[in-house]
Amino acid sequence: MRLFWEITKRAFARHLTYRTATITGLITNLFFGLLRASVLLALLGNSSSTGGWSAQDLVTYVALTQAIMMVVSIFGWSELMNTVYRGEIAAELLRPTSLYLFWLAQDIGRGLTALVTRGISIMLVCYLVFAIRLPTDFWHWMTVFLSLALAIGISFAFRFIVNLAAFWSPDARGIARFAFIVLGFASGFLMPLRFFPDWLQQFLALTPFPHMMNSTIEIYIGSSNTKPLELLALQGFWAIALTLVAQLILSRATRRLVILGG
Amino acid sequence: MIFDNLRLYHFLWLAQLRQTLQYRVSFILDVLSTSLVTILEFSAFALIFAKFQGLGGWSLPEIMFLYGMVEFAFGLTDMVFDGFDSPTFSAHIRKGTLDQFLLRPANLMIQIFGSSLSFRRIGRVILGAGIFGYALIYNPQVWHLEKLMYLPLVVLGMNLYFGALFLVGASITIFTVDSTDAMNLLTYGGKDMMSYPMNIYADWLRIVFTFLFPVALLNYHPALFFLGKPDPFGLPDFMPFLAPVAGLVMFLLALQFWKFGLKHYQSTGN
Repeated sequence: MRLFWEITKRAFARHLTYRTATITGLITNLFFGLLRASVLLALLGNSSSTGGWSAQDLVTYVALTQAIMMVVSIFGWSELMNTVYRGEIAAELLRPTSLYLFWLAQDIGRGLTALVTRGISIMLVCYLVFAIRLPTDFWHWMTVFLSLALAIGISFAFRFIVNLAAFWSPDARGIARFAFIVLGFASGFLMPLRFFPDWLQQFLALTPFPHMMNSTIEIYIGSSNTKPLELLALQGFWAIALTLVAQLILSRATRRLVILGG
Repeated sequence: MIFDNLRLYHFLWLAQLRQTLQYRVSFILDVLSTSLVTILEFSAFALIFAKFQGLGGWSLPEIMFLYGMVEFAFGLTDMVFDGFDSPTFSAHIRKGTLDQFLLRPANLMIQIFGSSLSFRRIGRVILGAGIFGYALIYNPQVWHLEKLMYLPLVVLGMNLYFGALFLVGASITIFTVDSTDAMNLLTYGGKDMMSYPMNIYADWLRIVFTFLFPVALLNYHPALFFLGKPDPFGLPDFMPFLAPVAGLVMFLLALQFWKFGLKHYQSTGN
Protein backbone atom coordinates (compact mmCIF):
# COMPACT_ATOMS: atom_id res chain seq x y z
CA MET A 1 0.00 0.00 0.00
CA ARG A 2 2.85 2.35 0.87
CA LEU A 3 4.51 1.55 -2.44
CA PHE A 4 1.23 2.18 -4.27
CA TRP A 5 1.00 5.60 -2.62
CA GLU A 6 4.62 6.43 -3.47
CA ILE A 7 4.13 5.56 -7.17
CA THR A 8 0.96 7.66 -7.24
CA LYS A 9 2.78 10.62 -5.65
CA ARG A 10 5.70 10.41 -8.11
CA ALA A 11 3.39 10.19 -11.13
CA PHE A 12 1.50 13.22 -9.80
CA ALA A 13 4.72 15.24 -9.43
CA ARG A 14 6.01 14.13 -12.86
CA HIS A 15 2.89 15.22 -14.72
CA LEU A 16 2.78 18.50 -12.79
CA THR A 17 6.06 19.67 -14.34
CA TYR A 18 4.64 20.32 -17.81
CA ARG A 19 3.39 23.84 -17.03
CA THR A 20 3.30 25.53 -20.47
CA ALA A 21 1.59 22.50 -21.93
CA THR A 22 -0.95 22.75 -19.12
CA ILE A 23 -1.75 26.40 -19.86
CA THR A 24 -2.11 26.05 -23.65
CA GLY A 25 -4.04 22.84 -23.05
CA LEU A 26 -6.37 24.73 -20.75
CA ILE A 27 -7.10 27.42 -23.34
CA THR A 28 -7.71 24.84 -26.07
CA ASN A 29 -9.95 22.90 -23.73
CA LEU A 30 -12.02 25.99 -22.86
CA PHE A 31 -12.32 26.95 -26.53
CA PHE A 32 -13.65 23.54 -27.55
CA GLY A 33 -15.99 23.66 -24.55
CA LEU A 34 -17.31 26.99 -25.79
CA LEU A 35 -18.04 25.54 -29.23
CA ARG A 36 -19.77 22.47 -27.78
CA ALA A 37 -21.87 24.58 -25.42
CA SER A 38 -22.89 26.86 -28.33
CA VAL A 39 -24.25 23.86 -30.25
CA LEU A 40 -26.17 22.45 -27.27
CA LEU A 41 -27.63 25.84 -26.32
CA ALA A 42 -28.68 26.49 -29.92
CA LEU A 43 -30.39 23.09 -29.97
CA LEU A 44 -32.31 24.08 -26.84
CA GLY A 45 -33.29 27.33 -28.56
CA ASN A 46 -36.14 29.13 -26.84
CA SER A 47 -37.36 26.16 -24.80
CA SER A 48 -36.64 26.35 -21.09
CA SER A 49 -35.63 22.71 -20.78
CA THR A 50 -35.41 19.41 -22.66
CA GLY A 51 -35.45 15.95 -21.14
CA GLY A 52 -35.22 17.48 -17.66
CA TRP A 53 -32.17 19.64 -18.37
CA SER A 54 -32.15 23.45 -18.44
CA ALA A 55 -29.67 25.70 -20.27
CA GLN A 56 -27.62 25.90 -17.08
CA ASP A 57 -27.53 22.09 -16.91
CA LEU A 58 -26.32 21.90 -20.52
CA VAL A 59 -23.48 24.32 -19.87
CA THR A 60 -22.63 22.44 -16.67
CA TYR A 61 -22.56 19.20 -18.68
CA VAL A 62 -20.06 20.67 -21.17
CA ALA A 63 -17.87 22.17 -18.44
CA LEU A 64 -17.83 18.89 -16.53
CA THR A 65 -16.99 16.74 -19.55
CA GLN A 66 -14.17 19.12 -20.51
CA ALA A 67 -12.95 19.11 -16.90
CA ILE A 68 -12.86 15.35 -16.39
CA MET A 69 -12.05 14.06 -19.88
CA MET A 70 -8.34 13.90 -19.08
CA VAL A 71 -9.01 12.59 -15.57
CA VAL A 72 -10.75 9.50 -16.93
CA SER A 73 -8.59 9.43 -20.13
CA ILE A 74 -11.52 9.55 -22.52
CA PHE A 75 -9.15 9.66 -25.51
CA GLY A 76 -7.45 6.46 -24.46
CA TRP A 77 -4.10 5.28 -23.21
CA SER A 78 -1.46 3.08 -24.79
CA GLU A 79 1.58 3.11 -22.49
CA LEU A 80 1.16 -0.53 -21.50
CA MET A 81 1.04 -1.80 -25.09
CA ASN A 82 4.11 0.28 -25.89
CA THR A 83 6.05 -1.51 -23.14
CA VAL A 84 4.93 -4.82 -24.65
CA TYR A 85 6.08 -3.83 -28.15
CA ARG A 86 9.37 -2.40 -26.88
CA GLY A 87 10.02 -5.45 -24.74
CA GLU A 88 10.24 -3.42 -21.51
CA ILE A 89 7.37 -5.50 -20.20
CA ALA A 90 9.97 -8.17 -19.29
CA ALA A 91 11.58 -5.87 -16.74
CA GLU A 92 8.20 -4.67 -15.48
CA LEU A 93 7.06 -8.21 -14.80
CA LEU A 94 10.18 -8.80 -12.69
CA ARG A 95 9.00 -6.20 -10.18
CA PRO A 96 7.71 -7.63 -6.92
CA THR A 97 4.44 -5.73 -7.29
CA SER A 98 1.39 -6.56 -9.34
CA LEU A 99 1.62 -5.11 -12.86
CA TYR A 100 -1.99 -4.01 -12.54
CA LEU A 101 -1.48 -2.12 -9.28
CA PHE A 102 1.73 -0.56 -10.58
CA TRP A 103 -0.02 0.95 -13.59
CA LEU A 104 -3.16 1.79 -11.62
CA ALA A 105 -1.06 3.83 -9.20
CA GLN A 106 0.55 5.64 -12.14
CA ASP A 107 -2.86 6.29 -13.65
CA ILE A 108 -4.31 7.66 -10.43
CA GLY A 109 -1.31 9.99 -10.13
CA ARG A 110 -1.84 11.18 -13.69
CA GLY A 111 -5.57 11.51 -13.12
CA LEU A 112 -5.05 13.57 -9.94
CA THR A 113 -2.73 15.95 -11.81
CA ALA A 114 -5.34 16.36 -14.52
CA LEU A 115 -7.99 16.98 -11.85
CA VAL A 116 -5.94 19.59 -9.99
CA THR A 117 -4.52 21.43 -13.02
CA ARG A 118 -7.19 21.12 -15.71
CA GLY A 119 -10.29 19.95 -13.90
CA ILE A 120 -10.53 22.43 -11.07
CA SER A 121 -9.41 25.42 -13.16
CA ILE A 122 -11.95 24.68 -15.89
CA MET A 123 -14.76 24.29 -13.36
CA LEU A 124 -13.70 27.51 -11.62
CA VAL A 125 -13.56 29.55 -14.86
CA CYS A 126 -16.91 28.12 -15.96
CA TYR A 127 -18.42 28.87 -12.56
CA LEU A 128 -17.23 32.49 -12.62
CA VAL A 129 -18.07 33.17 -16.29
CA PHE A 130 -21.08 30.96 -17.02
CA ALA A 131 -22.47 30.42 -13.52
CA ILE A 132 -22.54 26.64 -13.89
CA ARG A 133 -24.29 24.51 -11.30
CA LEU A 134 -22.36 23.38 -8.21
CA PRO A 135 -23.23 20.41 -5.98
CA THR A 136 -25.70 21.50 -3.33
CA ASP A 137 -24.23 20.14 -0.11
CA PHE A 138 -21.41 18.14 1.45
CA TRP A 139 -23.15 14.80 0.81
CA HIS A 140 -23.63 15.71 -2.84
CA TRP A 141 -19.93 16.61 -3.19
CA MET A 142 -18.97 13.28 -1.62
CA THR A 143 -21.11 11.27 -4.06
CA VAL A 144 -19.59 13.20 -6.99
CA PHE A 145 -16.02 12.46 -5.88
CA LEU A 146 -16.81 8.84 -5.11
CA SER A 147 -18.42 8.48 -8.53
CA LEU A 148 -15.40 10.10 -10.21
CA ALA A 149 -13.04 7.74 -8.38
CA LEU A 150 -15.09 4.75 -9.52
CA ALA A 151 -15.16 6.15 -13.08
CA ILE A 152 -11.34 6.28 -13.07
CA GLY A 153 -11.24 2.68 -11.80
CA ILE A 154 -13.65 1.41 -14.47
CA SER A 155 -12.01 3.40 -17.26
CA PHE A 156 -8.57 2.19 -16.18
CA ALA A 157 -9.65 -1.47 -16.12
CA PHE A 158 -11.16 -1.06 -19.59
CA ARG A 159 -8.07 0.67 -20.99
CA PHE A 160 -5.84 -1.97 -19.38
CA ILE A 161 -7.82 -4.79 -21.02
CA VAL A 162 -7.63 -3.04 -24.41
CA ASN A 163 -3.85 -2.68 -23.99
CA LEU A 164 -3.49 -6.38 -23.18
CA ALA A 165 -4.44 -7.05 -26.82
CA ALA A 166 -0.78 -6.31 -27.55
CA PHE A 167 0.12 -9.71 -26.05
CA TRP A 168 -1.84 -11.44 -28.80
CA SER A 169 -1.88 -9.12 -31.80
CA PRO A 170 0.69 -6.95 -33.56
CA ASP A 171 -2.22 -4.65 -34.51
CA ALA A 172 -3.25 -3.72 -30.97
CA ARG A 173 -2.90 -0.03 -31.83
CA GLY A 174 -5.66 -0.38 -34.43
CA ILE A 175 -7.84 -2.30 -32.00
CA ALA A 176 -7.26 0.34 -29.34
CA ARG A 177 -8.19 3.13 -31.72
CA PHE A 178 -11.57 1.46 -32.28
CA ALA A 179 -12.13 0.88 -28.59
CA PHE A 180 -11.37 4.48 -27.63
CA ILE A 181 -13.57 5.96 -30.36
CA VAL A 182 -16.47 3.88 -29.06
CA LEU A 183 -15.58 4.99 -25.53
CA GLY A 184 -15.98 8.68 -26.47
CA PHE A 185 -19.42 8.04 -27.94
CA ALA A 186 -20.82 5.51 -25.47
CA SER A 187 -19.58 7.23 -22.29
CA GLY A 188 -21.62 10.36 -22.99
CA PHE A 189 -18.61 12.51 -23.81
CA LEU A 190 -19.66 13.48 -27.37
CA MET A 191 -23.29 14.17 -26.44
CA PRO A 192 -25.32 13.63 -23.23
CA LEU A 193 -26.67 10.05 -23.25
CA ARG A 194 -30.05 11.19 -21.89
CA PHE A 195 -30.83 12.83 -25.26
CA PHE A 196 -30.21 9.63 -27.24
CA PRO A 197 -33.20 7.55 -28.40
CA ASP A 198 -34.54 5.20 -25.72
CA TRP A 199 -33.44 1.99 -27.48
CA LEU A 200 -29.85 3.23 -27.59
CA GLN A 201 -29.90 4.36 -23.97
CA GLN A 202 -31.24 0.96 -22.90
CA PHE A 203 -28.58 -0.81 -24.92
CA LEU A 204 -25.74 1.35 -23.55
CA ALA A 205 -27.02 0.80 -20.01
CA LEU A 206 -25.98 -2.85 -20.39
CA THR A 207 -22.36 -1.83 -21.04
CA PRO A 208 -19.80 -0.32 -18.65
CA PHE A 209 -19.24 2.75 -20.88
CA PRO A 210 -21.82 5.12 -19.35
CA HIS A 211 -20.20 4.54 -15.95
CA MET A 212 -16.87 5.95 -17.16
CA MET A 213 -18.32 9.47 -17.47
CA ASN A 214 -22.08 9.82 -17.87
CA SER A 215 -22.99 8.51 -14.39
CA THR A 216 -20.67 11.02 -12.73
CA ILE A 217 -22.28 13.81 -14.78
CA GLU A 218 -25.79 12.65 -13.85
CA ILE A 219 -24.87 12.52 -10.17
CA TYR A 220 -23.26 15.98 -10.37
CA ILE A 221 -26.19 17.66 -12.13
CA GLY A 222 -28.66 15.69 -10.04
CA SER A 223 -31.99 16.13 -11.82
CA SER A 224 -35.10 14.93 -10.05
CA ASN A 225 -35.15 11.56 -11.84
CA THR A 226 -31.53 10.68 -11.01
CA LYS A 227 -30.91 7.98 -8.41
CA PRO A 228 -27.33 8.61 -7.21
CA LEU A 229 -27.10 5.56 -4.96
CA GLU A 230 -28.25 3.23 -7.72
CA LEU A 231 -25.69 4.72 -10.12
CA LEU A 232 -22.93 4.40 -7.53
CA ALA A 233 -23.84 0.77 -6.91
CA LEU A 234 -23.72 0.02 -10.65
CA GLN A 235 -20.38 1.80 -10.91
CA GLY A 236 -19.09 -0.27 -8.01
CA PHE A 237 -20.26 -3.44 -9.74
CA TRP A 238 -18.52 -2.55 -13.00
CA ALA A 239 -15.34 -1.46 -11.22
CA ILE A 240 -15.07 -4.87 -9.52
CA ALA A 241 -16.17 -6.86 -12.58
CA LEU A 242 -13.79 -5.20 -15.04
CA THR A 243 -10.89 -5.34 -12.59
CA LEU A 244 -11.42 -9.09 -12.20
CA VAL A 245 -11.66 -9.57 -15.97
CA ALA A 246 -8.46 -7.58 -16.39
CA GLN A 247 -6.69 -9.82 -13.83
CA LEU A 248 -7.88 -12.93 -15.59
CA ILE A 249 -6.72 -11.77 -19.03
CA LEU A 250 -3.44 -10.50 -17.57
CA SER A 251 -2.62 -13.90 -16.06
CA ARG A 252 -3.33 -15.57 -19.42
CA ALA A 253 -1.25 -12.97 -21.21
CA THR A 254 1.81 -13.38 -19.00
CA ARG A 255 1.59 -17.15 -19.28
CA ARG A 256 1.87 -17.04 -23.05
CA LEU A 257 4.52 -14.30 -23.07
CA VAL A 258 7.83 -15.25 -24.63
CA ILE A 259 10.58 -12.67 -24.33
CA LEU A 260 13.24 -12.67 -26.99
CA GLY A 261 16.62 -11.75 -25.55
CA GLY A 262 18.83 -9.18 -27.17
CA MET B 1 9.91 22.92 -64.44
CA ILE B 2 6.30 22.60 -63.28
CA PHE B 3 6.05 19.43 -65.32
CA ASP B 4 9.13 18.00 -63.59
CA ASN B 5 7.65 18.82 -60.20
CA LEU B 6 4.38 17.13 -61.06
CA ARG B 7 6.25 14.05 -62.21
CA LEU B 8 8.25 13.97 -59.00
CA TYR B 9 5.09 14.37 -56.92
CA HIS B 10 3.36 11.61 -58.87
CA PHE B 11 6.37 9.36 -58.30
CA LEU B 12 6.49 10.04 -54.54
CA TRP B 13 2.72 9.66 -54.32
CA LEU B 14 2.90 6.20 -55.86
CA ALA B 15 5.75 5.23 -53.53
CA GLN B 16 3.67 6.32 -50.52
CA LEU B 17 0.68 4.36 -51.80
CA ARG B 18 2.76 1.23 -52.29
CA GLN B 19 4.24 1.63 -48.82
CA THR B 20 0.78 2.03 -47.27
CA LEU B 21 -0.58 -1.02 -49.07
CA GLN B 22 2.30 -3.18 -47.83
CA TYR B 23 0.46 -3.55 -44.53
CA ARG B 24 -2.95 -4.16 -45.97
CA VAL B 25 -4.76 -5.32 -42.82
CA SER B 26 -3.53 -2.48 -40.70
CA PHE B 27 -4.35 -0.01 -43.51
CA ILE B 28 -7.93 -1.30 -43.72
CA LEU B 29 -8.23 -1.12 -39.92
CA ASP B 30 -6.96 2.46 -40.05
CA VAL B 31 -9.46 3.45 -42.74
CA LEU B 32 -12.29 1.86 -40.76
CA SER B 33 -11.33 3.55 -37.51
CA THR B 34 -10.94 6.93 -39.22
CA SER B 35 -14.41 6.41 -40.71
CA LEU B 36 -15.82 5.41 -37.33
CA VAL B 37 -14.74 8.78 -35.87
CA THR B 38 -16.81 10.62 -38.48
CA ILE B 39 -19.72 8.16 -38.18
CA LEU B 40 -19.97 8.37 -34.38
CA GLU B 41 -19.38 12.12 -34.16
CA PHE B 42 -22.05 12.79 -36.74
CA SER B 43 -24.52 10.21 -35.38
CA ALA B 44 -24.16 11.59 -31.85
CA PHE B 45 -25.34 14.93 -33.21
CA ALA B 46 -27.99 13.54 -35.58
CA LEU B 47 -29.42 11.22 -32.91
CA ILE B 48 -30.01 13.96 -30.37
CA PHE B 49 -31.19 16.41 -33.04
CA ALA B 50 -34.56 14.60 -33.09
CA LYS B 51 -35.19 15.62 -29.47
CA PHE B 52 -34.92 19.32 -30.27
CA GLN B 53 -36.68 21.79 -32.59
CA GLY B 54 -33.83 22.55 -34.99
CA LEU B 55 -30.57 24.42 -34.61
CA GLY B 56 -30.52 28.17 -35.11
CA GLY B 57 -33.31 27.90 -37.71
CA TRP B 58 -31.52 25.18 -39.73
CA SER B 59 -32.94 21.74 -40.53
CA LEU B 60 -30.84 18.58 -40.33
CA PRO B 61 -30.32 18.29 -44.14
CA GLU B 62 -29.26 21.94 -44.20
CA ILE B 63 -26.73 21.36 -41.43
CA MET B 64 -25.54 18.26 -43.27
CA PHE B 65 -24.72 20.55 -46.20
CA LEU B 66 -22.23 22.40 -43.96
CA TYR B 67 -21.07 19.33 -42.06
CA GLY B 68 -20.49 17.11 -45.08
CA MET B 69 -18.70 19.79 -47.07
CA VAL B 70 -16.30 20.57 -44.21
CA GLU B 71 -15.67 16.90 -43.47
CA PHE B 72 -14.91 16.27 -47.16
CA ALA B 73 -12.70 19.33 -47.65
CA PHE B 74 -10.84 18.88 -44.38
CA GLY B 75 -10.29 15.16 -44.97
CA LEU B 76 -8.84 15.89 -48.39
CA THR B 77 -6.48 18.60 -47.10
CA ASP B 78 -5.47 16.49 -44.11
CA MET B 79 -4.57 13.63 -46.46
CA VAL B 80 -2.52 15.72 -48.88
CA PHE B 81 -0.84 18.07 -46.39
CA ASP B 82 0.21 15.33 -43.97
CA GLY B 83 3.89 16.12 -44.58
CA PHE B 84 3.28 19.62 -43.16
CA ASP B 85 1.18 18.42 -40.23
CA SER B 86 3.06 19.53 -37.10
CA PRO B 87 3.83 16.03 -35.69
CA THR B 88 5.15 14.77 -39.06
CA PHE B 89 7.03 17.96 -39.82
CA SER B 90 8.59 18.28 -36.38
CA ALA B 91 9.93 14.73 -36.88
CA HIS B 92 11.58 15.95 -40.13
CA ILE B 93 13.34 18.64 -38.11
CA ARG B 94 14.35 16.44 -35.20
CA LYS B 95 15.61 13.57 -37.37
CA GLY B 96 17.35 15.90 -39.82
CA THR B 97 15.34 14.77 -42.87
CA LEU B 98 14.58 18.42 -43.56
CA ASP B 99 18.34 18.97 -44.02
CA GLN B 100 18.36 16.15 -46.57
CA PHE B 101 15.41 17.70 -48.41
CA LEU B 102 17.15 21.07 -48.52
CA LEU B 103 20.34 19.59 -49.98
CA ARG B 104 18.58 17.74 -52.80
CA PRO B 105 18.29 19.48 -56.17
CA ALA B 106 14.50 19.25 -56.17
CA ASN B 107 11.60 21.43 -55.09
CA LEU B 108 11.42 21.45 -51.28
CA MET B 109 7.65 21.65 -50.91
CA ILE B 110 7.08 18.82 -53.39
CA GLN B 111 9.46 16.66 -51.37
CA ILE B 112 7.62 17.44 -48.13
CA PHE B 113 4.23 16.84 -49.77
CA GLY B 114 5.55 13.53 -51.06
CA SER B 115 7.17 12.53 -47.77
CA SER B 116 3.90 11.55 -46.15
CA LEU B 117 0.33 11.07 -47.29
CA SER B 118 -2.24 9.81 -44.84
CA PHE B 119 -4.33 7.65 -47.14
CA ARG B 120 -6.37 6.44 -44.19
CA ARG B 121 -8.17 9.81 -44.24
CA ILE B 122 -9.98 8.52 -47.32
CA GLY B 123 -12.60 7.20 -44.89
CA ARG B 124 -13.35 10.73 -43.75
CA VAL B 125 -13.39 12.03 -47.34
CA ILE B 126 -15.85 9.36 -48.50
CA LEU B 127 -18.16 9.79 -45.51
CA GLY B 128 -18.01 13.57 -45.86
CA ALA B 129 -19.02 13.17 -49.51
CA GLY B 130 -21.81 10.82 -48.40
CA ILE B 131 -23.22 13.27 -45.84
CA PHE B 132 -22.91 16.06 -48.39
CA GLY B 133 -24.59 13.94 -51.07
CA TYR B 134 -27.53 13.29 -48.75
CA ALA B 135 -27.78 17.03 -48.12
CA LEU B 136 -27.82 17.70 -51.87
CA ILE B 137 -30.71 15.28 -52.39
CA TYR B 138 -32.79 16.89 -49.64
CA ASN B 139 -31.98 20.47 -50.65
CA PRO B 140 -33.19 20.65 -54.28
CA GLN B 141 -32.73 24.44 -54.24
CA VAL B 142 -28.99 23.82 -54.78
CA TRP B 143 -29.62 22.24 -58.18
CA HIS B 144 -28.91 25.24 -60.40
CA LEU B 145 -26.14 25.31 -62.96
CA GLU B 146 -24.46 28.46 -61.63
CA LYS B 147 -24.55 27.13 -58.05
CA LEU B 148 -23.13 23.74 -59.06
CA MET B 149 -20.35 25.48 -60.96
CA TYR B 150 -19.44 27.60 -57.93
CA LEU B 151 -19.44 24.60 -55.57
CA PRO B 152 -15.96 23.22 -56.46
CA LEU B 153 -14.48 26.70 -55.95
CA VAL B 154 -15.90 26.80 -52.42
CA VAL B 155 -14.36 23.42 -51.64
CA LEU B 156 -11.07 24.61 -53.12
CA GLY B 157 -11.23 27.72 -50.89
CA MET B 158 -11.53 25.48 -47.83
CA ASN B 159 -8.67 23.28 -49.05
CA LEU B 160 -6.48 26.35 -49.42
CA TYR B 161 -7.45 27.67 -45.98
CA PHE B 162 -6.78 24.40 -44.16
CA GLY B 163 -3.61 23.95 -46.21
CA ALA B 164 -2.52 27.43 -45.09
CA LEU B 165 -3.02 26.42 -41.46
CA PHE B 166 -0.90 23.29 -41.91
CA LEU B 167 1.79 25.40 -43.57
CA VAL B 168 1.77 27.94 -40.73
CA GLY B 169 1.86 25.10 -38.19
CA ALA B 170 4.93 23.65 -39.92
CA SER B 171 6.60 27.09 -40.06
CA ILE B 172 6.05 27.62 -36.33
CA THR B 173 7.59 24.20 -35.75
CA ILE B 174 10.81 25.50 -37.37
CA PHE B 175 11.17 27.89 -34.43
CA THR B 176 9.79 25.76 -31.63
CA VAL B 177 10.82 22.26 -32.90
CA ASP B 178 7.90 20.70 -31.07
CA SER B 179 4.38 20.88 -32.41
CA THR B 180 2.01 23.42 -30.92
CA ASP B 181 -1.36 23.10 -29.24
CA ALA B 182 -2.37 26.60 -30.32
CA MET B 183 -2.59 25.60 -33.98
CA ASN B 184 -4.97 22.75 -33.13
CA LEU B 185 -7.33 25.37 -31.84
CA LEU B 186 -7.44 27.04 -35.25
CA THR B 187 -7.35 23.88 -37.36
CA TYR B 188 -9.66 21.54 -35.49
CA GLY B 189 -11.57 24.27 -33.70
CA GLY B 190 -12.15 26.04 -37.01
CA LYS B 191 -13.24 22.80 -38.60
CA ASP B 192 -15.70 22.07 -35.77
CA MET B 193 -17.03 25.61 -35.98
CA MET B 194 -17.63 25.39 -39.71
CA SER B 195 -19.70 22.23 -39.25
CA TYR B 196 -22.60 24.24 -37.78
CA PRO B 197 -24.30 27.51 -38.80
CA MET B 198 -22.38 30.55 -37.53
CA ASN B 199 -25.43 32.26 -36.01
CA ILE B 200 -25.30 29.83 -33.06
CA TYR B 201 -22.04 31.32 -31.77
CA ALA B 202 -21.57 34.38 -29.58
CA ASP B 203 -21.10 37.62 -31.56
CA TRP B 204 -17.45 38.15 -30.61
CA LEU B 205 -16.61 34.60 -31.65
CA ARG B 206 -18.42 34.96 -34.96
CA ILE B 207 -16.79 38.32 -35.72
CA VAL B 208 -13.29 37.00 -34.96
CA PHE B 209 -13.93 33.97 -37.16
CA THR B 210 -15.40 36.01 -40.00
CA PHE B 211 -13.06 38.96 -40.34
CA LEU B 212 -9.81 37.94 -38.61
CA PHE B 213 -9.87 34.27 -39.65
CA PRO B 214 -12.22 33.93 -42.63
CA VAL B 215 -13.83 30.75 -41.33
CA ALA B 216 -17.42 31.95 -41.85
CA LEU B 217 -16.63 33.22 -45.35
CA LEU B 218 -15.48 29.77 -46.40
CA ASN B 219 -18.65 27.81 -45.95
CA TYR B 220 -21.36 29.54 -43.90
CA HIS B 221 -21.90 32.50 -46.22
CA PRO B 222 -21.61 30.37 -49.37
CA ALA B 223 -24.09 27.91 -47.80
CA LEU B 224 -26.60 30.75 -47.30
CA PHE B 225 -26.37 31.34 -51.05
CA PHE B 226 -26.57 27.66 -52.01
CA LEU B 227 -29.49 26.93 -49.70
CA GLY B 228 -31.28 30.19 -50.48
CA LYS B 229 -31.36 31.33 -46.86
CA PRO B 230 -31.42 35.03 -45.90
CA ASP B 231 -28.32 36.43 -44.18
CA PRO B 232 -29.34 37.07 -40.54
CA PHE B 233 -26.53 39.62 -40.17
CA GLY B 234 -27.50 41.71 -43.21
CA LEU B 235 -23.99 41.62 -44.69
CA PRO B 236 -23.44 42.67 -48.35
CA ASP B 237 -24.66 40.40 -51.15
CA PHE B 238 -21.13 39.58 -52.34
CA MET B 239 -20.22 37.86 -49.03
CA PRO B 240 -20.99 34.32 -50.32
CA PHE B 241 -18.57 34.80 -53.19
CA LEU B 242 -15.49 35.64 -51.15
CA ALA B 243 -14.72 32.01 -50.26
CA PRO B 244 -12.16 31.20 -52.98
CA VAL B 245 -10.52 34.61 -52.58
CA ALA B 246 -10.30 34.24 -48.80
CA GLY B 247 -8.77 30.79 -49.15
CA LEU B 248 -6.24 32.01 -51.71
CA VAL B 249 -5.23 35.08 -49.68
CA MET B 250 -4.71 32.97 -46.55
CA PHE B 251 -2.65 30.47 -48.51
CA LEU B 252 -0.43 33.16 -50.03
CA LEU B 253 0.11 34.74 -46.61
CA ALA B 254 0.97 31.33 -45.19
CA LEU B 255 3.44 30.81 -48.04
CA GLN B 256 5.20 34.06 -47.10
CA PHE B 257 5.38 32.93 -43.47
CA TRP B 258 6.75 29.58 -44.59
CA LYS B 259 9.52 31.31 -46.58
CA PHE B 260 10.27 33.50 -43.58
CA GLY B 261 10.48 30.40 -41.38
CA LEU B 262 12.83 28.61 -43.78
CA LYS B 263 15.14 31.63 -43.93
CA HIS B 264 15.54 31.34 -40.17
CA TYR B 265 15.89 27.60 -40.15
CA GLN B 266 18.84 26.33 -38.18
CA SER B 267 19.33 22.62 -38.24
CA THR B 268 19.09 20.84 -34.90
CA GLY B 269 22.60 19.72 -35.84
CA ASN B 270 22.58 15.97 -35.46
